[in-house]
Amino acid sequence: MAAPQLDVRDPLEPVALIEGAAGHTDKTINDSLLAHVWRGAGKGWWACFAVALSLLGMLVISISWTLYKGIGTWGNNIPVGWAFGIINFVWWIGIGHAGTLISAILLLFQQKWRTSINRFAEAMTLFAVICALLFPLIHTGRPWFAAYWLLPYPSTNGIWPQFKSPLTWDVFAVSTYFTISLLFWFLGLVPDLAALRDSSQSKMKRTIYGMLAMGFRGSGRHWAEYKWSYVLLAGLSTPLVLSVHTIVSFDFATSVIPGWHTTIFPPYFVAGAVFSGFAMVMTWMIPARRFLGLKHVVTMKHLENMNKIMLVTGMFVSYGYLMEHFIAWYSGDPYEFAQFFYTRMRGPMKGIYWTMIFCNVIVPQIFWSKRWRTSIPVMWFASILINVGMWCERYNIVITSLHRDFIPSKWENYMPTWVDISLFAGTIGLFSTLFLLFLKFIPAVAVTEVKELRHELAHDPTADPVGETH
Amino acid sequence: MSDQGHEHHSDFVPRRFLLAEFSTPAGLLAGTTKMREGGYKNLDMHSPFPIHGTEEALGLKRPKIPLIVLCGAIAGACIAYSLIYFCNVFDWPLNIGNRPPHGPPANIPITFELAVLLGGGSAFMGFFALAKLPQPYHPIFESDDFARASVDAFFLSVELEPGTDIDRALADIRAAGALSGEIVEESER
Repeated sequence: MAAPQLDVRDPLEPVALIEGAAGHTDKTINDSLLAHVWRGAGKGWWACFAVALSLLGMLVISISWTLYKGIGTWGNNIPVGWAFGIINFVWWIGIGHAGTLISAILLLFQQKWRTSINRFAEAMTLFAVICALLFPLIHTGRPWFAAYWLLPYPSTNGIWPQFKSPLTWDVFAVSTYFTISLLFWFLGLVPDLAALRDSSQSKMKRTIYGMLAMGFRGSGRHWAEYKWSYVLLAGLSTPLVLSVHTIVSFDFATSVIPGWHTTIFPPYFVAGAVFSGFAMVMTWMIPARRFLGLKHVVTMKHLENMNKIMLVTGMFVSYGYLMEHFIAWYSGDPYEFAQFFYTRMRGPMKGIYWTMIFCNVIVPQIFWSKRWRTSIPVMWFASILINVGMWCERYNIVITSLHRDFIPSKWENYMPTWVDISLFAGTIGLFSTLFLLFLKFIPAVAVTEVKELRHELAHDPTADPVGETH
Repeated sequence: MSDQGHEHHSDFVPRRFLLAEFSTPAGLLAGTTKMREGGYKNLDMHSPFPIHGTEEALGLKRPKIPLIVLCGAIAGACIAYSLIYFCNVFDWPLNIGNRPPHGPPANIPITFELAVLLGGGSAFMGFFALAKLPQPYHPIFESDDFARASVDAFFLSVELEPGTDIDRALADIRAAGALSGEIVEESER
């Protein structure tokens, strides 16, 4: 590994997943991880919540305006018929993917480090998918009329959705993704809700958490089925998460626009989704672990692993860019070539292109250095840049491709309106509001799984003799 | 649930449980096995997290969830494919460039998604149905100690059949390694 002047430690040296595990019992883990739920909201939380709520207000205003006037209030126009709505949809849904990757794929691979961050990341998945779903819904202009071509129901029109269209596949993919993520998240939450119920101090809290916990009593008979239910949901989520962004990429790849019509889109979209999702987890995790007092379970080891995944997926994405350009040249298609080598690199939107290259190709390379991938300010700043870069990538794909297609007389520039910008800022508000509420009312770390992990770690080297001697 | 008397509490026969705490998961497993082998029925363990070896200790059969999920997934796939087939071939065939109305590759995504949706849905619903949850009241909650079962304590509960010798049961569970033992009785609602 790099950074030889400073780092003399073995790169494979184990770093604690639970800091000071020896000093912890199930009780102290329970109390420390639930503490932030019982603690009253601090000034910092209220300040963040106020900002989030005001952004949410912008969302309400811009949605109302769009529904009142129609989507003519957006900057979309021929030839750029898809713009911010689709960029934001793809961006948000990509952010959700890290949650499923952490909760499902790392579970199947038995990666112990997922335990402390899965709850957090899964919550992000849910909220990101809610933000994503808003955009295509509003994009239909009159969502209450759109039902008959989105969902198959026997309407009086006597017509059905076009099942051969990737847009219809999208409806199924995204709604399935949301539903399964919600079920998976709630199933994981039930034992923690029971723990919350049993450590509640007031009758009201006890009743509310008790209702949510559904009378779960940690029964061995229940656990036996629970484990299977959980692992099968993980097993189903794994191909699901890969399919979702694949199908999102089909929206583009099945068309003939230069810059869209490529076979590399599915894997490249999935890698980009995981890349941006991990960046978003990092952006939120760093302040949360500090302010919620989670440093003992979300250790440097976790952060470092996430940075490594960002490095790997960043390389996938870079490879995707390289291949797009290579094939544009190698195919001999002049429109493809013009798209990649003139329009994107040197066209009126070149700033977006070069921001994307800087943020997605160059920035993650700093994680080769152990010193930088274990530096909190560096990784936090990098994670924000990566989110910006991934948004720019979608801008490039959607808008830059559309504004210069085959016939020069059709070329037209694109400018977003205040409604576009408020909608985007508004979904950031919606996401933040939901996330702050989540951090206030629900344990941010899967308490049950951390307890289980502590027992596993404690029993690894030496068997615990206490149980046998009684 | 046992029969409940709503008018007179003379009909009410409370369910009784023997509840005992063990200090470690391993101790709980050993104690459960011992009690089960000692002839006690209706045993259950209560722990804050799943314990490896629970099935063996309680003598449980194979879990039912995998089969339920398989059925759900197959049902989802069949529903999706047959709906698309019905719409595209029978109810509303569209002739676009003389392409066949039944295009299998285009049906894959929705078929897959619905298989996952119903498979995952049945994993979730299946668990709650098998566990008979939500169940707001269970006699075991009568114990004040039991609140710790979701935090850091490992309990064994034995539902006692009417006429069981309580003193013997308490002695047996202590011999099986329990730290404590108490009798929990269902309250009339």
